[in-house]
Amino acid sequence: MNKTLYKANARANWGILLFISLMMLMYMSVAITMFNPENADTIEGMLKMLPEGMIKAFGFQNLGTDLTGYLANYLYGFIFITFPVIYTAIVSNKLIAKHVDSGSMAYLLTTPNTRIKIASTQAFYLISNIAVIFIFNVIIGIILCEAMFKGLLNINKFLALNWITFLVIIVVSGIGFFFSCFFNDTKNSLAFGGGIPILFLVIKMLTGISDSLDWIRYLTIYSFINIDKILTNNTYVISSSLILIGISVILYYASIIIFNRKSLSI
Amino acid sequence: MIQVQNLTQTYKSGKGVFDLNFTIKEGEVFGYLGPNGAGKTTTIRNLLGFSNASKGKAKINKLDCRKDTAKLQNIIGYLPGETAFFNNMTGFQFLKFMTEMRNTKNLSIKNNLIEKFELDTEVKIKKMSKGMKQKLAIITAFMHDPRVYILDEPTSGLDPFMQNLFMELISEEKSRGKTIMMSSHIFEEVQRSCDRAGIIRDGKIVAVENINALNEMKQEIYIITLKYKKDVEKLVDSNLDTEKISEYRVQITVNDNYQKFFETLALCNVARLDVKQESLEDIFMKYYGKAGVSHE
Repeated sequence: MNKTLYKANARANWGILLFISLMMLMYMSVAITMFNPENADTIEGMLKMLPEGMIKAFGFQNLGTDLTGYLANYLYGFIFITFPVIYTAIVSNKLIAKHVDSGSMAYLLTTPNTRIKIASTQAFYLISNIAVIFIFNVIIGIILCEAMFKGLLNINKFLALNWITFLVIIVVSGIGFFFSCFFNDTKNSLAFGGGIPILFLVIKMLTGISDSLDWIRYLTIYSFINIDKILTNNTYVISSSLILIGISVILYYASIIIFNRKSLSI
Repeated sequence: MIQVQNLTQTYKSGKGVFDLNFTIKEGEVFGYLGPNGAGKTTTIRNLLGFSNASKGKAKINKLDCRKDTAKLQNIIGYLPGETAFFNNMTGFQFLKFMTEMRNTKNLSIKNNLIEKFELDTEVKIKKMSKGMKQKLAIITAFMHDPRVYILDEPTSGLDPFMQNLFMELISEEKSRGKTIMMSSHIFEEVQRSCDRAGIIRDGKIVAVENINALNEMKQEIYIITLKYKKDVEKLVDSNLDTEKISEYRVQITVNDNYQKFFETLALCNVARLDVKQESLEDIFMKYYGKAGVSHE
């Protein structure tokens, strides 16, 4: 870890961090404010007016009367995946590939820091910032829920839900970081590092629309955010955590090794 | 100080550098001369440990450039040929960033250089002109007092005044015993500042010569414009190496017979005297013609 480089990253990327965090916060506040256990039927009624396929695509089914389940389905089916994915796609590309493409990597590597140290710092920056986004939203979410609907939020389940979503986003950031290290130009780094997570998102939206398409959920990492299982099954939370951490470690480790070994044209 | 042994690196396009061998001694100023695309930057990339060589290796201070890259950086001052910085920073922020990354303790060199090159460091790098960026790159390469300088086309983008200032800086550093490797495609630049020069062409070293030997190779060609036609005849009839290029203009190639040259000119009515710039290509053609003139 190199503190100077970490600070320089923060200075260059604080804008997008703030933007993504605030967008998520906005959706979170709206969702919590809109919650009304007595009016649950009204919401269900409103949703019935929308085509069923669309509701499933955005994961809005089962917006029940329970606050935790309502937030999970309303936010963690689509919105709380999309915003962090946009963040990781942009920032992972900027952390390595953009410096290599523009040539400014030459300045980082002509300081007495090994490539492994530079890449590890960039990886740590990316992971820690995703953590910041989630911690920020979880804390404010819990405060809002407690203020408006005291005792209704199942904090343990809510934390488990955020933990799994966070780990899934870490895997996605690992994909972005991998291609950022692998390619020498931002064009390819963005196309693969951003394209694959977006493809996963499209696949996720297609699952559940029809039973015959159910098998494709095995093709997207977002299927780990299985809201029903997270809210009911602790073993599922633990086992999927381990798998997601494993995939992340492999992706980040491979990225750093590749960056250390490759020939740079800078 | 710098050793390049059988260094080969080929790109997919078939270009690259092939079997380079040369050594730069401590305290020496070495010019690395070659036309654009000859492989100068590829060699330098290997010296800095950016590239993986296909064969052979480069060493600085007895350390392998690719394996001990990080260890070497405190003794190397590198000036990239194409400068790309962190565009969102100001010059001041960038220099501060680099001193912190390098853990440089003594900041007086940095401040002296900023003053010397009159760089306004409060400007965002994005908004800087090419010359300002080049100054910033020079300060970055020199401010940590390294022992070895690797400079890729250092004077490009500088105005003549700043070029002189830079050349002064080079001779100061040389007198402090620093080793300097400087790539260039301009003969005069190397001629002025270097002790020895390596000449690279199409990825191969065609010669490593003392600068004096190179100076002898370079003939001076003058173009004389005369007032009267009879003087043109006078020049052509003299035993100088002359060539009539238009009605009033004669081209004279001077090797070392300057005495004769001036004596002859003194008898004529000269209107203008111009120096014809001999390009690096011309010099190659003349002296290494057969060795590597497969030029598109």
